[in-house]
Amino acid sequence: MSFQAAGYSLTPALPELVLTVSAMVLLMLGAFRGEKITGLVTALAVAMLVVTGLVVLWLPAGKLTTFGGSFIVDDFARFLKVLALTGSAVALILSRGFLEEPSRRIFEYAILIMLSTVGMMILISAADLITLYLGLELMSLALYVVASSHRDDAKSTEAGLKYFVLGALSSGMLLYGASLIYGFTGTVSFAGIAAAAKEPTTGLVFGLVFLLAGLCFKISAVPFHMWTPDVYEGAPTPVTAFFASAPKVAALAVFTRVALTAFPGITSQWQQIVVFVAIASMVLGSFAAIGQKNIKRLMAYSSIGHMGFALVGLAAGTQEGAQGVLVYIAIYVAMTLGTFSVILAMKRNGQPVETISDFAGLSRTNPLLAFFLAMLLFSLAGIPPLAGFFAKFYVFLAAIKAGLFTLAVIGVVASVIGAFYYLTIIKVMYFDEPKGAVDPVRTELRTVLAVAGGFNMLFFIYPAPLITAATAAAKSLF
Amino acid sequence: MILPALFFYLFAGICVASAVMVIASRNPVHSVLFLILAFVNASGLFVLLGAEFLAMILVVVYVGAVAVLFLFVIMMLDVDFAELRQGFLEYLPVGLLIGAVFLAELLLVAGGWAINPALVKTAVAPIPADITNTEALGLVLYTRYIHYFQISGIVLLVAMIGAIVLTLRHKPSVKRQDINVQNARTKAMAMEVRKVAVGQGLQDPPSREAAE
Amino acid sequence: MIQAIVFLPLIGALVAGAIAIYGAHARNPSGDEMEHGDHGHGAHAHASDAHVHDDHGHDDHGPIEPPAAGSRAAEIITTALLLIAAGLSWVVLVDVGFLKHDARVVLFSWINSGDLNVNWTLRVDTLTAVMLVVVNTVSSLVHLYSIGYMNEDPNRPRFMAYLSLFTFAMLMLVTADNLVQLFFGWEGVGLASYLLIGFWFRKPSANAAAIKAFVVNRVGDFGFALGIFAIFMLVGSTDFDTIFGAAPGLTGKTINFLGWNADALTLTCLLLFMGAMGKSAQFLLHTWLPDAMEGPTPVSALIHAATMVTAGVFMVARLSPLFELAPNAQAVVMLFGASTAFFAATIGLVQNDIKRIIAYSTCSQLGYMFVAMGAGAYSVGMFHLFTHAFFKALLFLGAGSVIHAMHHEQDIRNMGGLKDRIPFTYIVMTIGTLALTGFPLTAGYFSKDAIIESAFVAHNPFALYGFLMTVVAALLTSFYSWRLVFKTFHGEPHDHHHYEQAHESPLTMLVPLGVLAAGSILAGFPFKELFTGHGVGEFFRDSIKNKPDILEEMHHVPALVAYSPTIMMIVGFVVAWLFYIRRPYLPVELANQHQGLYKFLLNKWYFDELYEIIFVRPAKWLGRFLWKKGDGFVIDGFGPDGVSARVLDVTRNVVKLQTGYLYHYAFAMLVGVAGLITWFIFGAGAR
Repeated sequence: MSFQAAGYSLTPALPELVLTVSAMVLLMLGAFRGEKITGLVTALAVAMLVVTGLVVLWLPAGKLTTFGGSFIVDDFARFLKVLALTGSAVALILSRGFLEEPSRRIFEYAILIMLSTVGMMILISAADLITLYLGLELMSLALYVVASSHRDDAKSTEAGLKYFVLGALSSGMLLYGASLIYGFTGTVSFAGIAAAAKEPTTGLVFGLVFLLAGLCFKISAVPFHMWTPDVYEGAPTPVTAFFASAPKVAALAVFTRVALTAFPGITSQWQQIVVFVAIASMVLGSFAAIGQKNIKRLMAYSSIGHMGFALVGLAAGTQEGAQGVLVYIAIYVAMTLGTFSVILAMKRNGQPVETISDFAGLSRTNPLLAFFLAMLLFSLAGIPPLAGFFAKFYVFLAAIKAGLFTLAVIGVVASVIGAFYYLTIIKVMYFDEPKGAVDPVRTELRTVLAVAGGFNMLFFIYPAPLITAATAAAKSLF
Repeated sequence: MILPALFFYLFAGICVASAVMVIASRNPVHSVLFLILAFVNASGLFVLLGAEFLAMILVVVYVGAVAVLFLFVIMMLDVDFAELRQGFLEYLPVGLLIGAVFLAELLLVAGGWAINPALVKTAVAPIPADITNTEALGLVLYTRYIHYFQISGIVLLVAMIGAIVLTLRHKPSVKRQDINVQNARTKAMAMEVRKVAVGQGLQDPPSREAAE
Repeated sequence: MIQAIVFLPLIGALVAGAIAIYGAHARNPSGDEMEHGDHGHGAHAHASDAHVHDDHGHDDHGPIEPPAAGSRAAEIITTALLLIAAGLSWVVLVDVGFLKHDARVVLFSWINSGDLNVNWTLRVDTLTAVMLVVVNTVSSLVHLYSIGYMNEDPNRPRFMAYLSLFTFAMLMLVTADNLVQLFFGWEGVGLASYLLIGFWFRKPSANAAAIKAFVVNRVGDFGFALGIFAIFMLVGSTDFDTIFGAAPGLTGKTINFLGWNADALTLTCLLLFMGAMGKSAQFLLHTWLPDAMEGPTPVSALIHAATMVTAGVFMVARLSPLFELAPNAQAVVMLFGASTAFFAATIGLVQNDIKRIIAYSTCSQLGYMFVAMGAGAYSVGMFHLFTHAFFKALLFLGAGSVIHAMHHEQDIRNMGGLKDRIPFTYIVMTIGTLALTGFPLTAGYFSKDAIIESAFVAHNPFALYGFLMTVVAALLTSFYSWRLVFKTFHGEPHDHHHYEQAHESPLTMLVPLGVLAAGSILAGFPFKELFTGHGVGEFFRDSIKNKPDILEEMHHVPALVAYSPTIMMIVGFVVAWLFYIRRPYLPVELANQHQGLYKFLLNKWYFDELYEIIFVRPAKWLGRFLWKKGDGFVIDGFGPDGVSARVLDVTRNVVKLQTGYLYHYAFAMLVGVAGLITWFIFGAGAR
C-alpha cells in the first residue's frame, strides 16, 4: 500500500493548518505569559480567524479534494467556512467584555474557540464518515469546555456537564449509525455510500436514522434539542452567542452534505426524517419560547425553531432547497449575533440582566438599542422587508416547489406563533414602564450590533451577493 | 470450525451478561469490575476476529488505565448510588419498552445482514495476511490516514487544554515549588544567627518572606 | 356649460371640505377629544330636542366653540358657485326646453367588464333641465339661507361642504345617462343625506335618525339594485337609450324570480319602484322622512322636501317608456302614491312639531306625484315636483325662520301670535300655504288639480281609489296647513319669553324666502301649458313618454271633478279657522272624544312600533346572537382567543417537558430515535 502523494496535497487543508498552527502558537504565548495576556491572545485569535477566512477565499477555485478523497473543498465548503469563521470571530469579539473580568481571564478560551472552529471547518469539508466524526468531536469537545468555562458558576458547570453527557450519547448514536452504514455499504466515503446505497434496506435506513440523530443533536433539532435551553441559559452569554452561531453553521452544513451527497439514492427516506424533525422543531420552538422568561432560554428555543425552518429547505432535497438552507443559515447567524450583542449590552450597574422583564421601557432609556433589537426581532419573526423574511421565503419557496405543501403550511403557522414571543419582547420594550437606565454599551458590541442590524434592515436592497454565493454553493453539491 | 464459534458465544455471552451486571449491580465497585470483565471479553472477541492489536490495546488502555481510573474515582468519591437510583423502578417499564423496541429492531437489522451476504463481502476490507496486525495498522495510520491521526491529535490537545482550564486553579494560599527560587537561595538567605537572651526567648522573629 | 353646472358644486364641496378639515385640525391639533367642545353642541341639541324649557337664549350655550377658521370663505365660495350653477341651469332649461338642444356629453369610460360597459355621460334633455333648475335654484337659495341660519354653528365649512356635495350628487343623478350612473348619484345623495341628518352628530337622536334614513333607504336600494340587474339581464346594457329601444320587445317576456315566472317588465318596474319608494318616502318605507327632521332646517328644505325625495319621482319619469309598458306596475305605483297621500296627510293633522307637519305634508305631496306617474301623466307629476319644490322649500325655510326667531323652539303649541313679531315670515308662510293647499292661481293650484284630474281619467284598477284619496288628502292638506299657520302666527302667544325675544331673521334668510315665495306664485301658470297642456310634446319631446291622450282626456273631466280640490281646500280652511281661531276648545274636545283615533294618528299609525317589532327587534336579536354567540363564542372562542389560549396551554405543557434532568433528556433522544426507526420499519419507510 504505497503512499499516493498526488491524493494528499496540503493546499486544500491550508486554512485548517493555518488556524491550527496559529492556535498552538497562541497557546504557547498564553502558557508562557500567563493570564494577563488574555486580551492580546483574544485579539490575535480574531485576527487569525480573519486571516483563515481570507485563506479560504484565496484557495484555487473549483472542487478540490485531498487526503484520499476524504476532505473536500467546494463552493459549498467555502461559503460555509467563511460563515463559520465569521461567526466565531464575532462571537470572540463579543466575549471581550466577559474576558476582561479578573476572575475570568482565561486565555484558553480563545484557543478553544479557534480549535473548535478548526473542527467546524473539518466538518464542513468532510467527505467521509470518519472525517465527519473527528471534526464533530473536535468541535464539540471544545464546546463542552467553553460551556463550563465560568467554572465558579454552578449553572455554567451544569450546562457543560449536561452538554458533555448528552453530546457523548449523541456521538455514540452517530458512530453506531456510521458503523451500520459502513457495514451495509462497505465504505465510509460519501461518494462510495451514494454509489452503494441505491435501495433503502432496513439496515441502511437504521444507520441513517442514527447518523442523522447524532447530527440533529448538534443542530439542536427536536427531539434531540433538550440540552439546548439549559446549556444556553447556563453557559456564559458570549459562549451562548457562539453556540447559537458557528457550530450551527457547521452542523447544518454537514447535515446538508451528508443528506444530499451520501444518500441521494434514498432521498425519500431521509426526507421523511427531515420533515418530521423540521416540523417538530418549528412547532416546539415556537410554542415553548412563548413560556420563557429568560431571554437566553428564549433564544435557545428560537434557535431550535430556526433550525427547523432551515431544515424545511433541506427537506425539499433540491438545489433550491440547499440554497434556501444556505441563505437561511447566513441570515440566521447575522440575526442571532446581533441579538446577542444586545443581550450582552443589557447590564445594570455592571451586572448583566437576562430576564425579558428587564427589557421594559428600553425604548425610553436607550432608544437606539431598543430600535435595533426590535428590528432584529422583527427579522427573526420573518417580517418583510427585513432579512429574516427572505430567509424564510427561500426555504418555503423550495419546499412548495418540491410539493411539500403541508410542511410549508405548518412552517408558516409556526412562524406566526413564533412571532408572538418576539413581539412580546418588543411590546415590553416599547410599552412597559422603564426599569431604569442600562449601562453604556461597549464599543465592540455597538459595532457588531450596527453591522448585524444594518445587514438585516438593508439586505432587501442588495441581496444579490449572498444569493449568488448561495446559489453557487448549492450548485456544487449536485 | 466449532471451536471459534464456541469461544465466540462464550465471550459474547459473558460480555453481555457482565454488561447487564454493570447496570444491575448495587455496589459501584462491582459495576466497574464487571465493566472490566466486559472489556476483557470484548478483547477476546477481537482476537477471534484476528484484530490482535485492538485486543491488546483494549486491555492495556481500557482495562489497565481507564477502568482502574474509574475504580479510583469511585472509591475516592462518596457517591450515594442508592440515592441516584431512586426512581429507577418508576422509569423501568418505559425504559424496558424502549429497550425492547430497540432490541426487536436490531434483530430485524441482523436479519437483514444475514439475508444479504453479498453486501458482507464488499463490506469487509481485506486483512493483510503476511504482516502483523500492528504493522498493518502502522502502514496506513501514518500515510493514508495521516489526517485522521492528526485530527485525533488535536482532539486530544483540546481535551488536555479543557482539563487544565476546568481544573487548574491558582489559589494564593497554596505553596508552589519554584525551582529557580530554590536554586537561587544562598546561605545568607536561608540562615540567620540570633542571640537568645536568657529567659526571654526569641523576640520578633523576622518573617521568611522578608528575608527572601 | 353642463359640466360647469355639475362640477361647480363639487369644487365648492372640496374647497369647503378642505377648509373644514384644516379648521378642525387647527382647532384641535392634538387629535384628542376636547371635553368642552361638546357643550356648544350639547346645548344646541338640547335646544332643538326638548320642547319645553323656560329660559334659554344665547347665553346658555355654554362655552361656545369658536367657529372654524375660514367659515366665511367657505360660505361665500360654495354659495357663489351654486348661484352660478343655478343661473346656468335656467339658461340650459331655455336652451334645451325651447331651443331643443338636447345633449350627451361623454366624460370618460367608467366600467368595462365583459358585457358591462358604463360611461360617465351627462345627459341633458328637458326632463334633466327641469330637474337642474329645481335642484340648483333651491340649492343655491338654501346655501344663501344657511349663511344666516347656521351663523351660530362652529362647523359651518363642514355644513357647506356637505350641502355642495349633496348638490353635486343630485346633479349626477339627474344628468345620468345610464342606470349605473343614476345609482351612483342615488347613493351619493343618500350619503349626503346621512351626513346632513347627522350633522349634529353629538346628538343621539340625530345619529339615530341618520342611521334610520340610511337603513330604510337601503331596503329600497336593494330593490333598485335588483331592478338594475334585471334590466341588464334582459337588455344587456344599462344605457337609457338602449333600454328604451329594447323595451317594446320585452313585453310578454318572463323572468324566473324565486321560482315564480313573473312578467319581466312588471317585475323590473316594481323592483325599480321599490327604490323610488325608499328614496321618496312612500307608504311602508316612509318612516325615515319625519325623523330626518333632526337635521338642520335648510337641509330639510333642500333634501327632504325639494330635491332628494323627488329623486324617486324623477326616476319613474325618466323610465316612463318602461313603466308605460307595464300597466300592472303603474297600478301599483298609483296604489302606493294614493295611499301615501292620504295616510301622510292624516298624520299631519295632529302633529305638533312644525317641521314634522311639513315633513308629513311632503310625504303626502310625493304621494300625489306618484299618483300622476301611475296614471301615466308623467309630465303632470313632474309639474307638481317643480312647483312643490318652490312652495315646500319655502315652507321649510319659513319654518326655519320661525324656529330661528323662537330660538330653536319647534313645537307649535308653544308658539302663537307671531304674525306681529315676524311679519315677513308670516306673509311668505301664508303664500307657501296657499300654494300648498292649491289656492287658485298659485303654483300648487295648477299642478295639484292636474294630478287629481289625471287620477280621475286614468285607466287602471286603482284609478278611482287614487282619485278619492287625493281629493280627501286635499281636504286634509288644507286643514293641517292652516292649522299650522293659525297656531303659529295667530292667537295668543303661549311662550311669552320667546315671544318677546322673537325677531325677524337676517337678510340672507329673508332673500331666499322672498324668491321662493315669488316662485310659489309664479311657477304655476307660465309652465301650465308646458307640463300639462298642449306644449308637452314640444317641450319634453322624447324625454318623457306620457300615456297617449291622457292629457287630452284631462281637459274634458266633469266640472265637479275639476273643482273638487278647490272645494276641499276651502272646506279645510274653514274647519281649521273654526278649530283654531273661532273655537279653540273644539280640537281638544274632539281629541278627547276620539281618543283612539287621535292616538293612532299622533303615533303615526304605529308604524315605528310595528317595524320595531317586526324588523328591528329580530334584527337586533339576530345581531346580538351573532355577536355574542356567533362571533364572541364561536369565532373568538375557537378563533383568535381560543387559538391563543390553546397556544399558551401547549406552551405550558411543552415547557413542563423541560425538567432539567439529564436522564429525561437522554431518554427523549432515545425515544426519538426509536420512534423514527419504528416508523421506518413498520410504517411507510423501507420496503
